[in-house]
Amino acid sequence: MSDLLGFVLSGLVSGALYALLATGLVLSYSASGLFNFAHGATAYLCALAFYELHSGFGWPAVPTALLLVCVVAPALGWGLDRLMFRKLARVGETAQIVATIGLLVALPALGLWVVELLEDAGAPVKPAENQFGLPGVGPSPAVSWQLVDGVGVDSDQLITWVCTAVVAVGLWVLMRHTPLGLKLRAAVDNRTLVELRGMSADRLSSVAWMLSSALAGLAGVLATPLLGLSAHDFTLFLFVSATAAVLGRFASIPLAFAGGLGLGVLQNLVAGYASFADSITGFRTAVPFLILFAGLLLLTRRQRTAGTAASDAPPVDYLTGRSWTRRWGPWTVAAVLLAVAFYTVTTPFWSGILAQGLAISLVFISFTVVTGLGAMVSLAQATFVTGAALVAGLLMSHGWPFAAAALAGTCAAAVLGALVALPALRLGGRSLALATLALAFLADQVLFQMGWLRNGDTGWEIPRPVFGPVDLNDDRAMGVAMLVLVTAAVAGLSALRGSPSGRAMLAVRSAPAAAMASGVSVVRTKLLLFTLSAGLAGFGGVMYASYNTRITATDFTAMTGLIWLAVVVAAGVRRPQFAVVAGLVFALVPHLVSDYVTESVHLPVILFGLAGLALANDPDGYCAAVPVRLHRRRAAVSAGPPLPGSIDMRLRRGGAPPQTPDRPSGSSSSAGQAGTALELRAVHAGYDGAAVLHGVDLAVHPGEILALLGSNGAGKSTTCKVAAGLLAPGAGAVYVGGRDATRDGAVRRSRAGVVLAPEGRGIFPGLTIEENLALRLPGKGERDAVYERFPSLAARRRVAAGSLSGGEQQMLALAPLLLRPPQVLIADEPSLGLAPRVVDEVFRLLAELREAGTALLLVEEKAAEVLGVADTVAYLAQGRVSWCGPRDQVQADRLTEAYLGIAAPGPDRPEQAGPEQAGPAQSGPEQAGPASPGPQASRTRGVVQP
Amino acid sequence: MLRPTRTLAAAAAALLLATACNSAATSGSGSGDGKAGSVRGVTDDSIKVGGIVSMTTASGYSKKDTDLGAKARFDRANAEGGVGGRKIEYLGAEDDGQDPAKNLAAARKLVQQDKVFAVVPMSSITFSGADFLQKQKVPTFGWGTLPSFCGPTYIYGFGGCMVPSPGGTISQTWPEGLKDVIGGSEGKTVAILATDNDAGTFAIRTYKQSFTSAGYKVTYAKPVVPATSVPSDWSAYTKEILHSDGGKAPDVVVSVMQTPYNIGLFTAIKRTGYKGVLTDPTDYDPGLLAKNATRKALDGVHVLLSFQPFEQDTAEMRQFKEDIRKAAGKDVPLNMHMVTGYMSADLFLAIAEKAGKDLTVASFQEAANGFSDTGTLVGDRAEPRGRTESFGCGALVQLKDGRYVVSSPFECYEPIPFK
Repeated sequence: MSDLLGFVLSGLVSGALYALLATGLVLSYSASGLFNFAHGATAYLCALAFYELHSGFGWPAVPTALLLVCVVAPALGWGLDRLMFRKLARVGETAQIVATIGLLVALPALGLWVVELLEDAGAPVKPAENQFGLPGVGPSPAVSWQLVDGVGVDSDQLITWVCTAVVAVGLWVLMRHTPLGLKLRAAVDNRTLVELRGMSADRLSSVAWMLSSALAGLAGVLATPLLGLSAHDFTLFLFVSATAAVLGRFASIPLAFAGGLGLGVLQNLVAGYASFADSITGFRTAVPFLILFAGLLLLTRRQRTAGTAASDAPPVDYLTGRSWTRRWGPWTVAAVLLAVAFYTVTTPFWSGILAQGLAISLVFISFTVVTGLGAMVSLAQATFVTGAALVAGLLMSHGWPFAAAALAGTCAAAVLGALVALPALRLGGRSLALATLALAFLADQVLFQMGWLRNGDTGWEIPRPVFGPVDLNDDRAMGVAMLVLVTAAVAGLSALRGSPSGRAMLAVRSAPAAAMASGVSVVRTKLLLFTLSAGLAGFGGVMYASYNTRITATDFTAMTGLIWLAVVVAAGVRRPQFAVVAGLVFALVPHLVSDYVTESVHLPVILFGLAGLALANDPDGYCAAVPVRLHRRRAAVSAGPPLPGSIDMRLRRGGAPPQTPDRPSGSSSSAGQAGTALELRAVHAGYDGAAVLHGVDLAVHPGEILALLGSNGAGKSTTCKVAAGLLAPGAGAVYVGGRDATRDGAVRRSRAGVVLAPEGRGIFPGLTIEENLALRLPGKGERDAVYERFPSLAARRRVAAGSLSGGEQQMLALAPLLLRPPQVLIADEPSLGLAPRVVDEVFRLLAELREAGTALLLVEEKAAEVLGVADTVAYLAQGRVSWCGPRDQVQADRLTEAYLGIAAPGPDRPEQAGPEQAGPAQSGPEQAGPASPGPQASRTRGVVQP
Repeated sequence: MLRPTRTLAAAAAALLLATACNSAATSGSGSGDGKAGSVRGVTDDSIKVGGIVSMTTASGYSKKDTDLGAKARFDRANAEGGVGGRKIEYLGAEDDGQDPAKNLAAARKLVQQDKVFAVVPMSSITFSGADFLQKQKVPTFGWGTLPSFCGPTYIYGFGGCMVPSPGGTISQTWPEGLKDVIGGSEGKTVAILATDNDAGTFAIRTYKQSFTSAGYKVTYAKPVVPATSVPSDWSAYTKEILHSDGGKAPDVVVSVMQTPYNIGLFTAIKRTGYKGVLTDPTDYDPGLLAKNATRKALDGVHVLLSFQPFEQDTAEMRQFKEDIRKAAGKDVPLNMHMVTGYMSADLFLAIAEKAGKDLTVASFQEAANGFSDTGTLVGDRAEPRGRTESFGCGALVQLKDGRYVVSSPFECYEPIPFK
């Protein structure tokens, strides 16, 4: 019994550290949707800093620890958030998963580099290598006490427990009982809505990252005596604690915390009682990863359809439709030049490096298949490489010829890939990535520990093949052979992409449900992709091993696979030729840097980490960014004054400042018309590559309801977004209360009194009714007033808002507005999905707001109902206001026209109701232009990839 | 429209070519191809050598002082007039960062770009450059703890091949040395613990045979400790070990693990009041004495080493200390990596000396074949015996009251066949 107690108690130590790390992971994940692979590196950095400051500079332990945890670590989190995480929150999932891998290696290198610099400067730092038994916050060596026989506790353990408990309570208080915690939880629930409510999601994201970093820092300082100064161990520790974050579904801090504690105990119990597995080498080592994998399989909610990152919209391919020469000419020329170079100019050393780069390119191309075509992030590619090479080596040691052994190795890798894919396919995105990582570690620790497969540390010899007169033992021949293979792989994959099965794969990637409806088997396609990719990686692995002429089981570890992915994604993962660039860069750059730039080994690693920063700006990689950027620059140059449709319209969220609205000279441009609460003037807007609004003019006055009607895809929601500041107009202006607010984002717009009730429900489903209200109405008296008015809400104030009925949710969204009427309310389909009686109630509330002086822009499809309350009606068709006038002038045929989207522009332009509702005259001529591309394109963006 | 893209691609290609040309130019000028029949890296008055050492690593384990050790030995050789009238031009060591790809690249760089005659020292946890060096006929000297030091004709371990292989031999230094500590092996029980991976399994297999054949009774021998992260709790292991001798504790606990593991294991064992002998092969690092925690954790532990302990006062050791002090320019704490570098260089110099004035790779190899000397820091050396087994010499030191004391003096023992 005392055994059990001992296992549990000491398991709680690592459990406490897991809990701290997992909590940090959950916080940062909820702040920006990133799984922060570098979280362990942050902890390491703090451990290193603590060691240097405490042991090197002789600073006292506790103040140093406090300084690091409360100041330095949060500052680091804040800086990283500003520099990259904030931007990464808005890019596709692949870039998100990968971006922090760069930091994972860069942060430790940064720390060591600083230590190196300090040492050169004569500071009393201590070397960071070969340090064991480091002092923690407590006494060193730790004082220990025997509780009962066989159960001991030492001071380091005690400190870890106490700190963790304090943090747990502190976090609970912060999240549950402070306005800041409430806002943080709201941001987790619905980031956009937080912005619409006038709270800066960016600032909240900063706070979350600071907290997360501080937790990592605390874990780092506490773990110093246990883990020493091994960045590698800290990262492994982090992966294990990811299990706890999975347990908390990356959203629940209490669950993650409890999960961390439980994980430590479980791990200890397994270690203590797993004697059944003594015959399986590596089983005990692999326990944490078994738990991680099982946890992912059991606990991950099925999200979307298997393994798809739907948010990964493909970049616009500006080379589409160009001739073959245009598309492939440069690549062909480069390949030919490279081949010629092998026999003319390169020295033996550089020939070898180039051959190596080409060999690794073959492996890298496999990422193009699984991640580029399949949008699945596989962190197990190194496993396929090792597996294939080991099998090939084993067979060659039995006298198999090279080609046959390579084929067998490739098949083995493909089978391994299918095995990895089968359980992993029901997972998506980040969970899939973590599951493949867990499997990669399992393979390293169990599969590749099998003596007959790995042949000890000796590994297997893989002599380079000799085909007749072609002897690949010559690096130059090897290089050219690799070039041919790489070219074949690139050509093959490009052909596959254009073939029906390739289109099926792209369809599965973009819209699994639609693909399924078209008779494409999603599971089979994904399995095929995974298998193909694993086979390709395996083949590349055999080639790479034959470049090395040997394979040992430790040549390519799971961590290697992680770095590879980062290198490939940084270059671009959508085209196989980008992977070749990545392979060459990976092989060449370190040598070029050390030859011509710096001798420091840390600096190149730090530079590599900056790839993550680059990815935040160009999520599709630097190779893909080149044509896009060139195209944009050309477009900007050739277009001159922005023309509607060709303007580079970008989401404001994309980070670029909106262009200055191109206002006609001479008009009363500096201010909006007197008396309007909200005015849109000649607004053009759209999404990257697809214009939706082609000059919308609208004006709403205080105490007026303007109903905006229009068919599906007419641009109603886009108009709302522009009005609320979620989307920056490409041209035109937005005035709020007569003031030019075009450049204001959603937060400032909201603070200026413009409130958007978005399509669906404008509530935070994860928060309780009380908390939802408290976000807008901090005073208790105000909330009580709401409860008085809506007794149904009062009765359930502790219930999560998500469990309310649609009508109640809409009431909850509108209730605080009644108490504090905003200047402008933009309601996007407030009646959507509500019962007719509830709809009446909602419209009554809106009318009440009008009485309070609010200007309402009401977007509706239910024309009949809305006409009952509207003062003014505007029709939106094909991105333009085709008619605008008082309600009583609305005619049935106009209504029909508006809905069928055939409202006639130009000569048939209906008479305008009054000057204040008319758009500026200069918008007229533009209406003759074709409204292409169709606004529909914006909604279906990503379905068909070029 | 596409001109910029094309230009860019062309520019990239041109850049690539320029790089290649550039490197051709830079490395071409440095090569010793001046006269016909010359030997790579050897001129009339110099021999060029360079090393490969893992210095920076993500695991926090570094062997960078190997470089200093080699430099110290080469400095003395040069001060004494060089080898066969040639000075040693030591280029320093390339850092392979424990990365197999970098290890191979470093070997290629040294041979193809720097054109060294020999690679000295080579000390890392990975040696993927071995096949290349063997094929290019580059004499290479390093720490023979990797299989590549066993067999290949151009690769030499400074203490011989230290990886026993079935059919070969096992060094008996450890069990024999322990007899000095506990007064013979008769009726003594031993528990051996290793990490849960292939290396641990192999270590258990080796040492189980080694201790058994020296007359000990092995009561526990398991590779069960998770290999990737140090356990925070050792009670599960200590309990089993300390009851392995029919419910009693064994006389000796042998750890075949790295320092961080040993710290945890030994601390946990000592907390139970264990009074037997603790021993491991990795913790001979005077740096460990600098910290209270490690000093306390490892107090009383007997550490195996395969060279003369720094505490042993012999002429060779005094020379070593003086050479290191000169090369470092000040008194530095000594560690085993310095010995690695120093003795790798020493073996190279001894063989080169024997090869004489007419130094070529062939003459060097010929000199190595049948080379032997005695009384060095690593005992009696002999080639080609060192290609298949270790020189079989070692000592035990005990950490006592904050310093190491010799508990079993440096001696060479007869190896046993490995079944």
